[in-house]
Amino acid sequence: MSVSTAPRFVRADGPDKVTGSGRYTADLTLTGALVAKFKYAGISHGRIARLDTSAAKAMPGVFAVLTQDDVPDVRFGPFVQDRTLFARDVVRFEGEVVAAVAAVDAATAQRAVDAIVVEYELLPVVNDVEAALTPDAPLVHPEWASYGAADALVRDRNDASFASIAKGDVQRGLAEAHTVVRSRYVADGCHAAPIEPRAVVAQWEGNKVTIWSSTQVPFDARSGVCETLELPNNRVRIIVPHLGGGFGGKCGFHYEAHVAALARATKRPVRLVFNRREEFVAPDRRREGIVYEFETGVAADGTITARRAKLLIDNGAYTADAGFFSQIAAMHALGPYRIPNARADAHLVYTNHQPSGSVRAPTAPQTCWALESHTDEVARAIGMDPVEFRRLNAVDTGGEGPSGQTYGEIGVQQCIAEATTGAGYGQPLPDDEAIGVAIGWWPSFSVPSGAYVKLDGDGSGQIITGAQECGTGAVMTLRQLAADELGMDAEAFELVYQDTSVAPYDMGATGSQTLFNNGRAVVAAAGQIAEQLRNLAAEQLEASPADIVLAEGRAHVAGTPDRGIAIAELAGIAAGGELLIGHGSGMPPGPPPLVGSSCVGDLGMAAWVAPQFSCHAVRVKLDRDTGVVRVLHVSAAHDSGTIINPVGAQGQVEGAVLMGIGQALTEGTTYDEQGRQRNAALLEYKLQTCADAPPIDIHFVQIDTPDAGPRGAKGLAEAPNVATAAAISNALAQLVGAPVRQLPMTAERVWDAMNQEAQP
Amino acid sequence: MSEQIHLHVNGVDYPVTIAQERNLLSVIRGEIGLTGTKEGCDDCECGACMVLLDGQPVNSCSYLAVQAQDREITTVEGLADGQALGMLQRNLLEAGGVQCGFCTPGMLISATALLARTPEPSEEQVRIGLSGNLCRCTGYTKIVQAVQRAATELTAG
Repeated sequence: MSVSTAPRFVRADGPDKVTGSGRYTADLTLTGALVAKFKYAGISHGRIARLDTSAAKAMPGVFAVLTQDDVPDVRFGPFVQDRTLFARDVVRFEGEVVAAVAAVDAATAQRAVDAIVVEYELLPVVNDVEAALTPDAPLVHPEWASYGAADALVRDRNDASFASIAKGDVQRGLAEAHTVVRSRYVADGCHAAPIEPRAVVAQWEGNKVTIWSSTQVPFDARSGVCETLELPNNRVRIIVPHLGGGFGGKCGFHYEAHVAALARATKRPVRLVFNRREEFVAPDRRREGIVYEFETGVAADGTITARRAKLLIDNGAYTADAGFFSQIAAMHALGPYRIPNARADAHLVYTNHQPSGSVRAPTAPQTCWALESHTDEVARAIGMDPVEFRRLNAVDTGGEGPSGQTYGEIGVQQCIAEATTGAGYGQPLPDDEAIGVAIGWWPSFSVPSGAYVKLDGDGSGQIITGAQECGTGAVMTLRQLAADELGMDAEAFELVYQDTSVAPYDMGATGSQTLFNNGRAVVAAAGQIAEQLRNLAAEQLEASPADIVLAEGRAHVAGTPDRGIAIAELAGIAAGGELLIGHGSGMPPGPPPLVGSSCVGDLGMAAWVAPQFSCHAVRVKLDRDTGVVRVLHVSAAHDSGTIINPVGAQGQVEGAVLMGIGQALTEGTTYDEQGRQRNAALLEYKLQTCADAPPIDIHFVQIDTPDAGPRGAKGLAEAPNVATAAAISNALAQLVGAPVRQLPMTAERVWDAMNQEAQP
Repeated sequence: MSEQIHLHVNGVDYPVTIAQERNLLSVIRGEIGLTGTKEGCDDCECGACMVLLDGQPVNSCSYLAVQAQDREITTVEGLADGQALGMLQRNLLEAGGVQCGFCTPGMLISATALLARTPEPSEEQVRIGLSGNLCRCTGYTKIVQAVQRAATELTAG
C-alpha cells in the first residue's frame, strides 16, 4: 500500500456545488407532484377536544388531509416509544404535527391547513426542568410507565432517562479536601441551524416507495418509515441528493413517513419543503438546555480529591435520540480529569418544549462550558494558574478517567501545550483583553458499516457506500483510502452514495463516524480487489502473488519495477473473466473495560473507543461600557488521531470553532411563559458572520491511538465544537471578575455579571 | 393578477407569465428552472438566494420578479467560463471553501460583486463584503482565502 501525504484535496462533489448544477432535495420536481404542508399544534400542551378536517378536504385542489387516524397506530422512538407520527389525543409542544395536507400548489395547501379546525382543552405547561421534577409537577406523559423503552433506561415520571457514573467515595473525598468549590451554571438550548431547510419528496410505484430526503442518516430514516408505516426494509428506498448541512439537526427520522403517507393516499408524488421558521420549531433536534450544579474538592497542592455533579437536561416533549444524553453529559460533567472520587447524576427531563436531539457533540459544548468555567473557579480559589491546574489534573497516557477507563496513548497534555503556546498564553495583554483556556473530549463511535468497491474494464473505479456526506468531506476522503490500497489515483474513483437500496448499511453522517467505520469498510473492500489484482498480475508476470506490488497505477514485481503491467490492463483481462468486485465491513473495535466504577442507566457512553482530546485557548476583548464581546483569536489543538485529509480536517475545526463562538455569545433559544420559542428566525437568532470570525490557529496532535480507525484516524467533526465556548467563558471571567453563569453569554448577561445582577 | 414579462438571465431572454407578487427567486427556480440559487430563509438574512442585478448583488427572495424586468440577471450558473470553472469557483474549491455547498452560490455571487468593485480587497474588505452570506460549515476562513487568491490572480492578469 502506498500512502499519499499531499495536502491537496479537491472534493469530488465540488464542481457540482460551485456551478449550481448539484441538486439538493428542494431542487427536485416530479411530474404531477403535489405540495405538502403541516398543521402544527401552535400551543405547547393541550388535549385535542375537536379535530375537523372536513372543510379542508372539500376544498378544490386538495388531494388529501391526513391525521393519526389515517396511519398505523404505532408509537415509536429509538429509546422511549413515546411518540406517534401525528398527535394522538394530546399535543405536547408547539411544533407537533396534528395533520398534513397535500394540494395542487402551496397557496391551496396553506388555505387547507388554515381550514382545519382544532379545538384544545389547555393543559398546564411544563416550562422548566427544575419545576418538572417536583412531586406535584404535571406530567408531560401521564402514561409514561406503559411505553416501550430500551431496557437500560432508568425512568420515573418526568425523568425520561436517569444516568449516574460513580467511582470511589465522594463524601470522603470532599471531607478530605483542602478547599471545596460549589458552582451553578445554566445553559440555554440552541439550534443546529443548517442553511438548507429540510425537504422530502416521495413517490410510490406499486407497493414500493422512493423517498428523496435531506437527511444525515438515510438508513435511520428508512427504519422510521418502515416502523411507522409497517413496511419491510426492501420496499422503502431513501435517496439523499446533495445535503445542505446538518450538524446533527438532520439526524433521526423526520417527516419521510408523513410525506410517503400523503403520496400513497393521493397516488401522486408529494413534495415537502420547510421554511426557516419550521426548521427552528418543528424537528426533534434542538440542542438541549441544561442546569448544572458542581462541587469539587482539591488538596492543598491542587490535586482534585473529589467531584460531584448534578445535571437537569431539557428533553423536551419527546425523547427522540436523547435517551443517551444523560450518560454522555455525566461523562462531560466529570471531564477528562483524574478524579479518585467522582459522582455525576444526570436527569433527562420531559418539558413542553421542542424535543432535544443530537446536535454536533450533543451535551458536550455546554457541559464543557459549565465544567471548565467551574474548573477555573476552583483554580482561582487555591491561587493556582488555571492552565497549571489542568496540566496537574488532566488524565494522561496510561491514566484512569472518571469512569474507570484506563487510556492508552492520548494527547491531552500535548494539546494543552500547543494551544496555549499558539495563543501566547501568559504574555501581557491590554486590560480589556484576556486569554481563556479549556480542555474537552469526545469519543469515537465504533459501529458496523459496509461498502463495495469495483473496478470496471477500463480500469476506472467506483466506491458504492452506505455512507452519507453532509459537507464534512468524510465521504470524499474515502476515495483516497481506496486509491492508496490499490496503488491508484484518487481521481480514478467515483462515489455512489446516499442511497439505501444500492449500498450496504452505514449509520450516516452522525457521531463523526464516517471515516472511522466506513473507512474501515472501504479499505477492506478495496483489499479484496487488491488481492484479485495481485493474483492476476502474478499470472501475467509469472511471479508469486505475494511479490506483486500495486503502485502508481501499475502492478509490478517487488524489486523490479520494470517487470509490471498497468492496473487498467488487468481490469480489462478481469472484465472477460472473474470481475473485480470487493465488499467490506470489518469488525468494529469493542468497548474498553471499566474498572472500579458503577454506571446506572448505562447505554455504553462511559467506555470510549479511541477518545479524542482538545484544548482551545481563546483571546477575547470586552467592551466594558456595553458588555459586547469580541473574539480576537482562537488557538485550537486536537488529538483526533491521524489526519488523512488536512484541508478537510482544518475545515471541520474552523467551522466548529465558529459554531462554538455563536453558542458562547449569541445563539440561545428563549421561550415565552407558554414554552413557545421567541426567536425562531435568523434575525432574532444570530449566527456568526464572516465579519465576526476571528483567525483560528489549528494544531493537530497526531497520536498513535489503540483501536483507532483506518491509519490511526479517530472521529473529528464534533470534537472541535466542544471547548470553544468554555475557553471564551474563562477569558470573560477574568475581564468581568466573575463567571457569566448563563449560556449564551450575551452582551446583556455579561453586563449584568459586571454589575452583579440577575445571575441564575 | 398575472402578466407576461421578460427576464434576461445569464445572457438568455426568458418570457414568463407570472403573478405580480412572485419573488425573483421563485421565478428563477420554478419558471426558468435554474436551481443553483437557493432559498435558506426567505427573510434576507442568509444570502443563499443572492443573484446579480446589473452587477449588484440582491437577495432574490425579497425582490419582485417584475422589478427585474429588462435588467441583466446573473445567477451562479452564469459564472462558469464556458465548460471551465470561473476563477472564483476554482479558487473556492481548491482552497477548501466548499463543504455542504448550500451557501456557495450566494457566496460566489457576493464575491463576484466584491471583486468587481474592489479588485484588490484587504482581508477586512473581504470579510465585510461577504458578511451578508451565512455559512454554517466553514467558519469562513477558507472562503476568505479563496477570494484573496482569486483577487491576486485577477490583478496579476
